[in-house]
Amino acid sequence: MNFKSLLILFLIALFAWYLSFLATRLDRLHHRVETSWANLDSLLQRRAAIAIEIARSEIADPASSLLLTFAAHQAREASVKDRSQAETGLSGALGILLETSFSTGGDIEQELMQELGELNKKIKVAISLHVESVNRTQLIRSRWIIRTFRLAGSAPLPVTYEFEADVL
Amino acid sequence: MTFEKKRIGIVCPYGWDTPGGVQAHIADLATYLMSQGHYVSVLAPTSDEENLPEYVVSAGKPISIPYNGAVARILFGPIAFARVRQWISQGEFDLLHLHEPAIPSISLLACFAAEGPMVGTFHASAKRQKAIFAIGPILEPVIEKLTARIAVSEAARETLTEHLETDAIVVPNGIYAKRLAGGKLKQEWSGNTIGFIGRFAEPRKGLAVLVSALGEITKSIPDLRIIVAGPGDSAEFLKEVPEEFRNRFTFLGRISEEEKADFLHSVGLYVAPNTGGESFGIILAEALAGGAAVVASDIPAFQALLGDGEYGSLFISEDSHSLARTVIDILKNDEKRDSLRTAGKLYAQSFDWDVVAERIYDVYEMAMVGLGKVVLSSESRGWNKFLGR
Repeated sequence: MNFKSLLILFLIALFAWYLSFLATRLDRLHHRVETSWANLDSLLQRRAAIAIEIARSEIADPASSLLLTFAAHQAREASVKDRSQAETGLSGALGILLETSFSTGGDIEQELMQELGELNKKIKVAISLHVESVNRTQLIRSRWIIRTFRLAGSAPLPVTYEFEADVL
Repeated sequence: MTFEKKRIGIVCPYGWDTPGGVQAHIADLATYLMSQGHYVSVLAPTSDEENLPEYVVSAGKPISIPYNGAVARILFGPIAFARVRQWISQGEFDLLHLHEPAIPSISLLACFAAEGPMVGTFHASAKRQKAIFAIGPILEPVIEKLTARIAVSEAARETLTEHLETDAIVVPNGIYAKRLAGGKLKQEWSGNTIGFIGRFAEPRKGLAVLVSALGEITKSIPDLRIIVAGPGDSAEFLKEVPEEFRNRFTFLGRISEEEKADFLHSVGLYVAPNTGGESFGIILAEALAGGAAVVASDIPAFQALLGDGEYGSLFISEDSHSLARTVIDILKNDEKRDSLRTAGKLYAQSFDWDVVAERIYDVYEMAMVGLGKVVLSSESRGWNKFLGR
């Protein structure tokens, strides 16, 4: 009898440890979703700023300048829900400009383009990191044990943002 | 842009003293990072603690176990774990870069023990194995701690998605394309020659396929010679070769980087008849950079690397007849051979270390954002308390 109750106690303790282990894991994932999003967000903001600078520079003709300024402002002001669409729009506008502009202009323009190129590379990596952390979190949160014991607490379920990395 | 010097810890799972792709990759990467002014420390198993480069820290003697069709020299166990923890807590790293963290090795131990910015590089590609299903649930929470994952090829990435349900960024292995491109023509290696570099005795390198194709090739090209460079027992190997072809083989043993450039520039064509187990095919990238016309088996890694035959000719893997036809076709057609060489050489520039290392560093940078230094993880701290350390 005594042995039996000890065993049960041990199993309960083990289970409790497992639950706390799962909770730590989930917490780490939530934290990563937050940081990867913050990182991506700041990079996208920087891109929008550069886009506006490019629009004002001599690289862009008046028409594409208008298009670019519009897209950049939209991306900056978009609500979280419309963000991915707005950013894809900006990617598209920048893509058109990069493909069609042959005159590279002066030093400042070249510097801008170079900065944009480097930023794009980083954004690609940041997107894949963010998407991965979101997917992972969603996957773990869908498990029954996590749902049953409400290990996620009050943390909101991360939303998938559909970025089109290929446009960059 | 302000440039910050970082402290980077790299973990190599395989014995440092045995030559291999992963070790070479780490040595090159470490050298590059240090040339950029970063502090680098590499933790690796070694049997010889005396003759180590300054940046390598020994984690103990490796043991040999068979893994993925070859013998891997790796290390694990409680003593190794203690050394890994000590290295992490003393290193004060800004980032850990773990190579091949999904096999039982010090990379996995480091991933378990640490918390913070961590990047994992997956080199191997393996077929879906039953054993993985059993290991999966154990590995999953550990691998999950990696902030970013890099796969060296599409094949390695697919393996990762299949086994561990996680995605990775593909960054190819690096080569010194510029150094290899400066080879000089050596008469004794040129002409109707087939070159091969690597451990020729290993069955998965597929030299047996070439040997059985020799009959057909020599009918069209009577003066064919085969030049093999790389470590191994040549006498043992020749026993398997039919009598009449033995004098066509030349064995050079291990060659230096400089000789490699000359070799690749001189040979009539470079052959890679590998039957599998290859994830990236660094040697093919090097062969292209050295200006060799390449003939390779159509295993997925090679197919991807050679752009489906755009930068080198592919033959049906393990089919000696197909190999023979491909070799004859190239050696008899100078125009095709030269166009392959030119296209390949240009294409190989994209594998140059300058390009590749920068892409790896981009991943580092993204992984470091918003996270502090690498510390021992809370799980591991719990263990430490438990063990009274």
